Amino acid sequence: MRGVKYAFNEALASLMRGWRSAALAVLTIAAGLFVLGFSLVVNTNLQRIVGRWAEAAELSIFLRDDITREQLAAVDDVIAKSELAAERQYVSKKDAVKRFSEDFPDLAPTAESLELSPFPASFDVKLNQRARDADAAVDTLATTLSGTPGVADVRYDRRWLSRVNSAVRLVRGVALLVIVMLAVAAALTVANVVRLGAYARRDEIEIMQLVGAPFAYIRGPFVAEGLLQGGAGAILAMTLLWLVFLAGRARLGQLATEGLGVGLTFMPVGLWLLLLGGGMLLGCIGGLVVARSVR
Amino acid sequence: MIEAHSISKMYGRGVYALRDLSLRVDKGDFVFLTGPSGAGKSTLLRMLLRQDVPTEGQLVVGGRNLATLTANQVQSYRRSLGFVFQDFKLLPNKTVLENVAFVPRVLGMPMTQQQRRTFQVLKWVGLQHRMNAFPMELSGGEQQRIAIARSLVNDPIVILADEPTGNLDPDLSLEIMNLFREINARGTTVIVATHDRELIRRVGRRALTLDHGRIVEVA
Repeated sequence: MRGVKYAFNEALASLMRGWRSAALAVLTIAAGLFVLGFSLVVNTNLQRIVGRWAEAAELSIFLRDDITREQLAAVDDVIAKSELAAERQYVSKKDAVKRFSEDFPDLAPTAESLELSPFPASFDVKLNQRARDADAAVDTLATTLSGTPGVADVRYDRRWLSRVNSAVRLVRGVALLVIVMLAVAAALTVANVVRLGAYARRDEIEIMQLVGAPFAYIRGPFVAEGLLQGGAGAILAMTLLWLVFLAGRARLGQLATEGLGVGLTFMPVGLWLLLLGGGMLLGCIGGLVVARSVR
Repeated sequence: MIEAHSISKMYGRGVYALRDLSLRVDKGDFVFLTGPSGAGKSTLLRMLLRQDVPTEGQLVVGGRNLATLTANQVQSYRRSLGFVFQDFKLLPNKTVLENVAFVPRVLGMPMTQQQRRTFQVLKWVGLQHRMNAFPMELSGGEQQRIAIARSLVNDPIVILADEPTGNLDPDLSLEIMNLFREINARGTTVIVATHDRELIRRVGRRALTLDHGRIVEVA
């Protein structure tokens, strides 16, 4: 316990002595963790949006105007037998006009004034849980329906959702690469700052070695110094991130809720703590690199 | 207590700092190591501090071969030593009290014991009234007395001093030697490396003269 207290006291004194270099290390760690945190917040929200859209994803089967009763029954039968539909609803040409008028009230008089409905009849199919996990099966169903007589077109929302997911994965991959590079840069900066501290304390270290001080006393302050820098960097990064999030939510929150159907959310507390721990770990690694060189 | 069995230390190709040196120092002895610069005095002290190991032979202290000690055993061994250097090696940004208390502090001694022991040794070297001063505010003699106080604070069984009077005038040198004599009178083994033969004559203890890494005279 005395060793830990000694290590942290010495680390604090060293950080105060070389506060400029320490501030640089803290800022570098903060920058790395800010990028990491920012991408996590963006990712969390993108996942929620994509998840929400995925839940609402539908298979729309547009029917030809000249479809017969038998053909209609056959299409219905194909959907029912696929066991991928949680719900299915037949939307007649008349219902389609009504739906359009509800969605676009300004254009309702024009749509309703037409003698013939310009909108095709359709089946709206809400997919079940099994379908969400089996893109290939839904693709097969869509292909089968496209070839069924009386079907004009099949639109499957999940196809473009898959593309969105791929884009999200790509963005996440690039962010991960940047994060790894920043993490290495942060650890190296901490190591250099701690090394400067070690140089300033070289006389003390020599005496400690000569009197047989335990390694915990000799090396502990370097590890503690890295830990404190990492922790400070993480707290700074999270504070900045929170402020940026608040500003972003104030500007875009309503738009996201109304336009995308989801409210913006910050990262969960568990992730926050993980980032704090990550920052401390980065600092620790930097400190350990120097500590191990002191024998 | 200290036994060197035909130890040699070679640096580079055929350059010997010590060559086939054997000696024995018993518990409670006071020994001078003397000789010209480059004779091997400091190398022998470095080996006794376990900062270096012989390339040949064995150096045994308290029954332990220093060359075979593990890192933890080296720490433990060094805790039984006190050291004094020519340049004092005091920490300029710490007060006299902090300089002396630094040793028990980094050895993990409880605070009350640290304070008691630090005050005791400062009183013993007669500098308790300067405990809040910084090293730069002290004379050379005072700084060396602080270094001696620091070497005593963890109750060592051996004191190693490398040219402890090298920066001091003759009167101060004798004063420092008297301190070493007092330390020795309490049973602590003292080994002092110095090239000052006049000082050795005035103190009048066993002196081993080294030259080119060998003991050439025992007086």
